[in-house]
Amino acid sequence: MSNTDDIRWVAQVTLLGDKTAFDKLTCKYQSPIRRFFLNMTMGDVPLSDDLAQETFIKAYLNIASFRGLSGFSTWLYRIAYNVYYDSVRVQKHYADIDEIQIDSQHQTQNEFSAEKMDIHKALKILRKEEQTAVLLFYMEDKTHKEIASIMNCPLGTAKTYILKGKEKLSVYLTQAGYGNK
Amino acid sequence: MFTLHKLDMETNNDKMLKDFFGENKKEIADFGFSQRVMRKLPEQADRSWIMWLFAGIGIVLTLLLGLYTGLIEYAFLFIQIIPQLYILIGVVSFSVIGGTVVLLGQKNSYRMI
Repeated sequence: MSNTDDIRWVAQVTLLGDKTAFDKLTCKYQSPIRRFFLNMTMGDVPLSDDLAQETFIKAYLNIASFRGLSGFSTWLYRIAYNVYYDSVRVQKHYADIDEIQIDSQHQTQNEFSAEKMDIHKALKILRKEEQTAVLLFYMEDKTHKEIASIMNCPLGTAKTYILKGKEKLSVYLTQAGYGNK
Repeated sequence: MFTLHKLDMETNNDKMLKDFFGENKKEIADFGFSQRVMRKLPEQADRSWIMWLFAGIGIVLTLLLGLYTGLIEYAFLFIQIIPQLYILIGVVSFSVIGGTVVLLGQKNSYRMI
């Protein structure tokens, strides 16, 4: 399924109010968006599903503002990014962000989080912006330009986030003996 | 020498991170998520009539232009003149070629899935 399909479905939703077309978009992007939230919330499945749901509803309500300059996926990630930081702000955790506290609050015991404990432990050593940039780059295969667009920051800043995140993670993983596996 | 070593290390780190994230990258099954989203979407007016409106306008315009220019009349005359065998061959080859193209297209899209 290509980007042409995305444009066609977006046009069907915008012009005809066709919900079936939006269902197709949701089915296509539910996995990457939920995975993104799952990693950002350190494995909190209910919270990540709530945020993903909010993302898709916001996308539906604002789909007319999608101009097609970036891909639909990039546009959707940008909404997801905003939804995530809005949720953090609403919980009044953003001003005096205590990441460890947030992460431990978000961390719930479930089979998925147990399975992904290593990646979440590794991500915890990064700042939130670095986490976002690294996840988008290495996990979601986004380009530097797309990441800058999603995070609404200059290209150089996005590159710096990735570089710093990469350096910290490399040291962490090497010390944990990951490279020797 | 130092620069080369640094470059080599960066490439190794990059590969290590790609492997690490690749190993942890998993597809999440839908399990009714899309349906829950669809249920929560606010109701909006059905605008599918726009499609039918434009289709109707298109048909009317085609007929009017056809009648005005005499194209439709000419087409009917042309059909009466040309041998029926030609029409038959045309219809059959159109179906065969069209069917093959559609089948090949579907096969390609299945491969992409």
